[in-house]
Amino acid sequence: MLLHLGGIQKRFGGVTALKNGSLSVRQGEVHLLLGENGAGKSTLMKIVAGLIAPDGGTFEWRGSPVRFRAPVEAAAHGIAMVHQESLLAPHLTIAENLFLGREEVCRAGLLKRSRMRERAAALIAQHKFPLQADWRVEKLTPAGKQLVEICRAVVSGSSLMIFDEPTSSLSESETREVFRIVRELRERGMAVIYITHRLEELRAVGDRVTILRDGETVHTAPLGEITNDEIIRQMVGREMSALYHREPAKVGEELLRVERISRKPLVKEVSLTLRAGEITGLAGLVGAGRSEFCRAVFGVDHADSGQVYIAGKPVEINSPRQAVQAGLALIPEDRQHYGLATLRPVGENISLASLPLVSTFGFLNQRAERRIIDTYMARLRIRAGSPKQLAGRLSGGNQQKAVIAKWVARRARVFLFDEPTRGIDVGAKAEVFQVMDELARSGAAILMVSSEIPELLQMADRILVMRQGRISGELPGRTTPEQIMRLAALETTTSEFAS
Amino acid sequence: MIQRLLPFLTLIVLFVGLTIASPFFLTQTNLSSVVRQTAVINIMALGMTLIIIAGGIDLSVGSILALGGLLGTMAMAQGYPIWVGIGVGVLAGLACGLANGVLTTQLNINPFIVTLGTMGIVRGLALIISNGLPVHQIPPRFSFLGEGTLFGLPFVLWVLLLCAVAMHILLENTRLGRHSFAIGSNPDAAYYAGIPVKFDTTIVYAIGGLLTGLAGMIEASRLMTGQPTAGNGYELQAIAAVVIGGGSLRGGEGSVVGTLIGAFIMGLLSNGSDLLGISPYVQQAIIGAVIILAVTFDELRKRKMTA
Repeated sequence: MLLHLGGIQKRFGGVTALKNGSLSVRQGEVHLLLGENGAGKSTLMKIVAGLIAPDGGTFEWRGSPVRFRAPVEAAAHGIAMVHQESLLAPHLTIAENLFLGREEVCRAGLLKRSRMRERAAALIAQHKFPLQADWRVEKLTPAGKQLVEICRAVVSGSSLMIFDEPTSSLSESETREVFRIVRELRERGMAVIYITHRLEELRAVGDRVTILRDGETVHTAPLGEITNDEIIRQMVGREMSALYHREPAKVGEELLRVERISRKPLVKEVSLTLRAGEITGLAGLVGAGRSEFCRAVFGVDHADSGQVYIAGKPVEINSPRQAVQAGLALIPEDRQHYGLATLRPVGENISLASLPLVSTFGFLNQRAERRIIDTYMARLRIRAGSPKQLAGRLSGGNQQKAVIAKWVARRARVFLFDEPTRGIDVGAKAEVFQVMDELARSGAAILMVSSEIPELLQMADRILVMRQGRISGELPGRTTPEQIMRLAALETTTSEFAS
Repeated sequence: MIQRLLPFLTLIVLFVGLTIASPFFLTQTNLSSVVRQTAVINIMALGMTLIIIAGGIDLSVGSILALGGLLGTMAMAQGYPIWVGIGVGVLAGLACGLANGVLTTQLNINPFIVTLGTMGIVRGLALIISNGLPVHQIPPRFSFLGEGTLFGLPFVLWVLLLCAVAMHILLENTRLGRHSFAIGSNPDAAYYAGIPVKFDTTIVYAIGGLLTGLAGMIEASRLMTGQPTAGNGYELQAIAAVVIGGGSLRGGEGSVVGTLIGAFIMGLLSNGSDLLGISPYVQQAIIGAVIILAVTFDELRKRKMTA
């Protein structure tokens, strides 16, 4: 046994993150670590990688007990972690990043630059990464950065690599590329721990699976001996069929019409119409220009050309402010960065866009504001200790509902959801879908951008597909994943990993 | 909770300690002089609180204080009434703050750099206008602003309280205040929420400048001169007051009460050192150490909160 964890405990202040975390990993296996958000997966892996220290439990590495006080100690034992967020230095090249902290120097203390570049290039070629050693990291897509992180772990000669949701920001073809690399690492005798939210990825890559629930390891099994339904049941602790069942909506009048909007380099003459009561899906690969389209419509980026009509009337939108005044709402993909002030109370986040509705001459009417906050916290079933709880301390699902509540409170009528279920657990997904359904029923027009095809098929009344900046087709809501993929798909080329 | 109250407890401990240590501390003369000495920094620090909450910083306040005081006293020297002079000083501060805001938001340059630049420009302006010479021909009644007494308390204390209450209301009960917290906490999220980030940020700097202009007039009144070299290094004291009081240079955090406590802690430290005969050289080091200690405790508290 390469790694053995037993009865690991970890508390943060009053919150118990892990009460009984157990995990055994063998050499040369890909071990999947599953669980809902908050189940303790990331905490457990941070303990393995030496980022945090456990409060109790046993931690054995190659049969002998260890205790890491810093990531470098874990690295010295051959444990590397590929993080969800990139930890690369953006202004340096790939080669420089690969050797960061272990630069090769000559006797005089000067860097052996060309030698390191050659070694990096050789390594990239050996693993067939679609990268080049002298590319600057800031030019890479999230997928490209992830590959560099993987490369870096390989350079350091690790024997255990931990992937924390490596594919959450990757497209299908990029995901396949990561799987190929993971399989190759396994063939070289490396062990891999793989955290994921996407159930459909399991079979493609894993050998065994360990499931965490509420800070406890509840199940470990070889993948061949467990069904997807069983996995979901173990994760959520209850039976679950489809995530959400939505009755087709009654479609009303046109609320948003976009005509031939363009924004270099990713949005090319996109036109679409959103109607009251309807959920329109927008599918496509990562990099197809879907988020960029939303940003152009919402005025974050200026459109180069094109026209937006709200309820049939042309409007000019050059800033989010104008978009908000026109009744638009954007629920951004990266809610921590663009959707929430995480260090402010959840209540303030909810009322933030609605302050003009509850103030006179710039002075806030606190009672009216409180009424708005209470109303929408209840209506969207946001679970927080109180409106004063910091938004950043809520679970992913509740954070997402707070972002939505902000716009419902503002009485927005057109909602642009960009990857609404990114990084939130299965139970919370169903709740977000229910909120979207209720919004549509109350007469809102909804655009749902999603890379999760099964989710689009469950929710959308019709599905538009984008490819390389253009709408490549429209499909009815009851279409098949294959038809969507056919309209969205592209050959994998190196150009997909750099812009 | 104890850690949140730490600045306040420190202030009390200092107060009690000094009362015991020196018979001259708890006297009306001494306490009024502490209030008068701290008022200038305090009023500047109120503006700085708003700026820091909105995620900014203003290094030019020391220079603005000098320019405001100079122009105000020059107006009086020209024969304009005192209230006009005060108005000129305050408006000069407002104009400088507005310039800081416009430069920061329109050129999209880091406010640290912008105000580092305007710190030099405004100081230079004051020196050029005055030719480096102080203004002395000031009507004697002007000294009431800094040295007068109203209802048994220093007049500046009333001015300070008025400014503090106004700033507290601005922060807690107005849209601009709420926007400032949001902008400082996450400017992108604020922009996405439809908040006029640039406009609000500009106003925030303008308010900071206005308060600094007022502080400049108080300083001029206390010294009874308009000094182009006044306020050197005050920006750091104002920032220190905000930070000791729990403000975060990363934005989104800070309070009026905290800043007042922070400014008074520094005021008492320097007054106490004077009373106990500690040399001003040592004083500087003590205040520096207190700043680091205060921020360390505050960071520890926040880390516990967000872990």
